[in-house]
Amino acid sequence: MFDFLTIDFVRHFPVIAVMGLFLCAFLVEIFGAKNKYIRNTIVLVAAFGAFALITSLVKPVLFDGEILAYWMGNWEPVSGYAIGIGYEIDALNMFFALLVVTTILLAAIYSIKYMARDHHLGHYYTLFLMLSGSVLGLVLTGDIFNMFVMIEIMTFASVALTAFRNNKFGSLEAAFKYLIIGSIGSSMTLAGIALLYAQCHTLNMAQISAVLGSGALSPTSICAFALMFAGFGVKSYIVPFHAPAADAYMTAPTSISMVFSGMVNKAGVYGMIRLVYVIFRAMDITPIQLFLVTFGTITMFIGVTMALAQHDFKRLLAFHSISQIGYVITAVSLCTALGLEAGLFHAMNHTLFKGLLFLTAGAVLYAAGTTDLDKLGGLAKKMPKTAVCFLIGAFSISGLPPFNGFASKWMIYQATFEKATTTGNFAYAFVTVVALVVSVMTLASFIKVTQAVFFGQLPANLRDVKEVPLLMRIPMWIMSALCILTGVFYNFVQQHILVPAANAAFGVTKYIDSMMGEGTAAASGISDYAVQGVEGIVSIWNPKLWLILFAIVLIAVFIVILTGDNTRGRVLEKSEEDSEDGKYATFFGGEKSAHSHVSGSDLFWGFKHDFKGYFKFIQGMHSGVVNDYALWVVVGAALIVVFMFATFMFI
Amino acid sequence: MFKKMIAKSMAKSPWIYHVNTGSCNGCDIELVAVLTPRYDAERFGFKLAGTPRHADIVVVSGPITSQSKERLIRTLEQVPEPKCVVSIGSCPRSCNVFKGSYSVEGPLEKYTHVDVSIAGCTPKPEAIIEGLYKAAEILAEKREAMNK
Amino acid sequence: MLDIIINTIKNAGFVLVFPGILFVSIAGLLLAGIDRKVLARMQKRKGPPILQPVYDFFKLMGKETIIPHEANKTAFLGAPIVGFVSLVVIMLFLPIAGFEAPFGIEGDLVIILYLLTIPAVALIIGGSASGSPFAGIGISREMVAMMAYELPLVIVLLSVAKVAGGDSLAFSLNTIIDAQAGGELFITKWQLIPAVLAMLLVIPAEVGTQPFDVAEAETEICEGPLVEYSGAPLAMFKLNTAIKMFIMTALFSVLFLGGINLGIEGWYGIVLNVVVLFAACAVLTILCMTLIHAICARLKIEHMFKFYWTVVTALAAISLILVWIF
Repeated sequence: MFDFLTIDFVRHFPVIAVMGLFLCAFLVEIFGAKNKYIRNTIVLVAAFGAFALITSLVKPVLFDGEILAYWMGNWEPVSGYAIGIGYEIDALNMFFALLVVTTILLAAIYSIKYMARDHHLGHYYTLFLMLSGSVLGLVLTGDIFNMFVMIEIMTFASVALTAFRNNKFGSLEAAFKYLIIGSIGSSMTLAGIALLYAQCHTLNMAQISAVLGSGALSPTSICAFALMFAGFGVKSYIVPFHAPAADAYMTAPTSISMVFSGMVNKAGVYGMIRLVYVIFRAMDITPIQLFLVTFGTITMFIGVTMALAQHDFKRLLAFHSISQIGYVITAVSLCTALGLEAGLFHAMNHTLFKGLLFLTAGAVLYAAGTTDLDKLGGLAKKMPKTAVCFLIGAFSISGLPPFNGFASKWMIYQATFEKATTTGNFAYAFVTVVALVVSVMTLASFIKVTQAVFFGQLPANLRDVKEVPLLMRIPMWIMSALCILTGVFYNFVQQHILVPAANAAFGVTKYIDSMMGEGTAAASGISDYAVQGVEGIVSIWNPKLWLILFAIVLIAVFIVILTGDNTRGRVLEKSEEDSEDGKYATFFGGEKSAHSHVSGSDLFWGFKHDFKGYFKFIQGMHSGVVNDYALWVVVGAALIVVFMFATFMFI
Repeated sequence: MFKKMIAKSMAKSPWIYHVNTGSCNGCDIELVAVLTPRYDAERFGFKLAGTPRHADIVVVSGPITSQSKERLIRTLEQVPEPKCVVSIGSCPRSCNVFKGSYSVEGPLEKYTHVDVSIAGCTPKPEAIIEGLYKAAEILAEKREAMNK
Repeated sequence: MLDIIINTIKNAGFVLVFPGILFVSIAGLLLAGIDRKVLARMQKRKGPPILQPVYDFFKLMGKETIIPHEANKTAFLGAPIVGFVSLVVIMLFLPIAGFEAPFGIEGDLVIILYLLTIPAVALIIGGSASGSPFAGIGISREMVAMMAYELPLVIVLLSVAKVAGGDSLAFSLNTIIDAQAGGELFITKWQLIPAVLAMLLVIPAEVGTQPFDVAEAETEICEGPLVEYSGAPLAMFKLNTAIKMFIMTALFSVLFLGGINLGIEGWYGIVLNVVVLFAACAVLTILCMTLIHAICARLKIEHMFKFYWTVVTALAAISLILVWIF
């Protein structure tokens, strides 16, 4: 049915998608600054266009396994040297591009109602489309300097969007932090690219990989590697580069927080995978694996413990983003088939469930006017649909079956433990344990949000809160459906999306050959990784079992109904909203019930009490002073440089 | 069958919620003594519940003081049907020596129907057990009546 | 066509009768009864009849269910059913008594680990939905308790998986059973003895019996999350606790006792296995729940957390290191 979608048919689509987003960014300011209908139309057309163009590439690239090599303006390589800017789309960046366009589309739909109360929306949509276009360009491009340009646009659009609601407390501060840290990151990337260009005399990623060859790296390229690695680390907010993320996610408009966690930090992850797996082909070196796994494990632990200590809904979600990226980095850096698939799967799931959670946080902010966990409560009675979406997201991120978080986390545990048994290295078993414990802590902090926001007692000033409009609920429903579908049909996802993407990362020669011509990789002595993506290593659920499970639920409900009111005791509910019937009052030891809500800020004091030393230390570290954060980044980068030199010079 | 099991179980697992409405603590101690190894009311399935929502039998001790009146009424309302009210000792029955005090608004019968009243100041544990056992039987009857 | 019908009937049998709803409910309630009876005998009391939990269950079914007006109705009524369903599903994953698990597949160990958290999460969501401040404190304690026992439980499961699988990956209960098939029960392996102790200490916390019933402390926070529950949903929660008792002890017997398989062919072999399994579960219940209940007072939540993350985790970790080295 989709046979017309050949690689030649879709050849120009990626470029059109990126250009379209950038073009509409200007159109929206020119034509839509005054009229909201024109503005919304332009934004939706751009977002939906990008979505349609990229999804039409799914069949040729992901399913048929072809690689789309595209030279802008037909500037093809001359005598083996790439001069023009090239777009190279294999299954790996196709995978990330899919995440990006989905996020763009849903965020655009959500923004229409969510942002309707703000002013200067022309500016907002311009920046939003710039951000979207830059991230899409970043993941699609095959040219490393083009990538840097996209990173810059992304950073500055993000900074401006963080400060968009600058009447709110803390948003300018957050933008400032983002600006400083983001600029340090970009500068490191730029320095790395400059060194690499000096070394290889080319900017095409495939050709860089070919020129670097299979021999030992020169000190210049080691330095370039370390600097670029640190630069992408800043973009994906791994510890110790994570500090500005919390502020930015909290103060940015929620549709933008969703974009940040859904695609901006995924772009960083993509950059790291491309850099380590393909350009430098360093992933099969054991110390590099251990180093990255250490980074990932520390990130997931610090992220989740900081999240436990937060009392703002969006800030808590921000720290969870950091923690989940830790999972992704850990799994990806195992350099096993299962590990890479698990990492990519988790990256995808993170886009889905964290996007969903940010959307519900936005709905709460829209309806109740605050995200402070101490001031909310009982909203499930007023916003039942949002509450259901939130619970789906919360259970997904905590990894409860049957949601998607379970499938990917389960693959991560299996991958780390498998690595431990095959290498005999006890450290990986430790990583498995940490990953499992972090998962429980994630559950704990979402229980905290559930209790503080959606359940418990409704404060008097929130009595007339209303459910959010339909246009805001549609993206939430889509995300919820995707969370469940990818969890139940994980086999399909693994077979058709994860395995090709993992194989693309492992198959370096194909990446080089399709861009630079057949035989380039062989000429420079480059070979693929020994591992290949494998299907069906895990079988978690058998779909048939789902029918049985469903039957059980039916039977359980049936039993309750069967034994009806006459046999079973009656179910009594208060008939009128405001009648003073003591029977339905909350039990207060006989006292008249008053508003008393155990709110979120300090729900787990038993846990915090036992770790008060750790929490004091870690909260002291997150001082909020931008100088400190800049210092972390520099120290982190220095550590990476020292480690990379030590690894490559002595091994 | 389900119905039969419920009817059979109703008398066999009465859970008690104890309200002290200004008692001198004598009856309270005796009630606790009922659950000790010597008297062991648990062999009939008696159990102290932590909240009125779980209770079948509400045990009231003390002459209803004006402070405790409202709280008692509220607590009684919160117990799901079928339920029994049992008074322990002379105080809820007749206000005992506290009768006529400015702060006593008893007896208990003014506020609710009392199913079993156990006399004595304080009643012996054996008497309390017997009274509670009777209350459990009344509970089963009430359930029958509710289902008609 | 006939195949499908037979399969459906068979699966329905698994779900409804053995090892599903009917079996697990009866076994759980009986275990809870044994627990109460033995506890009473330890305190020199006569104690309630063994069927007392059954009476309690049916009595609660006959009582009214009051939904407080602060509560969220759907979550309040749905939570106990979700917990019950997930417990039944766990049962379908356990290969007990020489009986092949109907759901048994590669990697069921982690599934069980996660499914075991769902009843606790259901309790938390239900309590949270009731809107009571007592429940608020109760769910906080329940969650901290969960974090406390989850860490040692994970390490115990990993050490058992390592022993069963050797160098390959064995997150599967069937592999664990097969490794013990020749009569070499894991409980006899010296490296695993600390893990056995740790598991014995995890069971009461997972079930929530005294001294680890901090979440449902009826004397201080009015049964915590259950404070507003009455009637049928409360009956379901009580049933869930009883089933958890059976499932945790059965899981222990799978991990360390080879799932109790006497190796006798025929239907009476299975019956005999089930009887022996139940006896083993009863012994384990008495050992790790009743005994500790009779001699200990309730802990504070921070003490419980500390105890699990130091002593019990250390025991489990010693085992993991030992199996890694030897």
